[in-house]
Amino acid sequence: MIKVFTFGSCLLAITNLACGAQTLTAENKLNEFPAGSVTLEQGLASWQIFYEVASHPRCSNCHVGSSNRPMWSGPSYGKTRPHGMNIKADESRIGVESVPCATCHVTLLQPSENANTMPHTPPRVTAPWALAPVEAEWFGKSSSFICNQLKDPERNGNRTIADVASHLDHDRVLQWAWNPGGNRQSAPYSLQMVMDALMKWSAAGTPCPSE
Amino acid sequence: MQITVNGNQHEIDVEDDMPLLWILRDELGITGPKYGCGIAQCGACTVHVEGIAVRSCQVRAADIDGEITTIEGLGQPDALHAVQSAWVEHQVAQCGYCQSGQIMQAASFLDQNDDPSDEEIDSAMSSNLCRCGTYPRIRKAVKTAAENLRSA
Ligand code: FES
Ligand code: FES
Repeated sequence: MIKVFTFGSCLLAITNLACGAQTLTAENKLNEFPAGSVTLEQGLASWQIFYEVASHPRCSNCHVGSSNRPMWSGPSYGKTRPHGMNIKADESRIGVESVPCATCHVTLLQPSENANTMPHTPPRVTAPWALAPVEAEWFGKSSSFICNQLKDPERNGNRTIADVASHLDHDRVLQWAWNPGGNRQSAPYSLQMVMDALMKWSAAGTPCPSE
Repeated sequence: MQITVNGNQHEIDVEDDMPLLWILRDELGITGPKYGCGIAQCGACTVHVEGIAVRSCQVRAADIDGEITTIEGLGQPDALHAVQSAWVEHQVAQCGYCQSGQIMQAASFLDQNDDPSDEEIDSAMSSNLCRCGTYPRIRKAVKTAAENLRSA
């Protein structure tokens, strides 16, 4: 029997993760680009920016599929392998069934500059640590796969691309990717550039690269 | 600031970034939770915050959000927690250093899932290290504790 439990200010359950993250104020700007103002070529170049971010270990390590196992990959890890200590985030994607992510990735009550300075310690942010939803599997996936996935309402939480872009600005775990601390490599570009890239890609008609 | 540990309120005067493990051991003299690594790699410092296992070396004073339970408050000598009884029954401990963390982890895990498979037990307990290698006895004791909790 799995129970629902509360952790900090958040309610964690098997199929639900509801917490303060939804009410955060935006820190970046959702810039609009009129339809037709971005060429196909520019649209594909904008997609490429997004793909470089999506496939970067800082993002893809937690965008894993139905294995529910976070990955350790990227320059700070040496060889690519699943998260140590036999960690599984389980179907809940927050580890309720075994070890909650937040057991070690403790939820901060206040943002803190020096929470993540030490290498090899679990990163901590002001939201419960979690895997991305299983529908958003990116680890090891091609640019074309992720491109078609991101614009598919079935897999993107029934969002428009503008919804997706502004959603990025409200997720504290995601924002950490640009300020990861320790010896971890930051995700490329900036969140503002990624949001702009998505909006330009959208204005160009969400073109996807072929395989 | 005020914190509640094992049902008792304490007034403490510490830096915001002092880890809970330091507060427990050095400020309050509660030495059941052990220091092994300080970087969430061993589990020896595991306590509960609002019933959920956390590595107390990772919880800074400023982030304490709820009532803390340590091994000292989980059960009492004459009224052991089901996990503690199972630990005695299977004589799990060797040197004992890791065991308060093991027990706190197991108690929190079984509170969420009282009918775990071997695989789930291994997954729940793998981030608590034991240099004495008591893992086979830990697995048996978790199973016994789960049975006792279900029939309680
Ligand atoms: S001392 Fe906290 S996990 Fe090792
Ligand atoms: S009993 Fe000695 S470290 Fe676990």
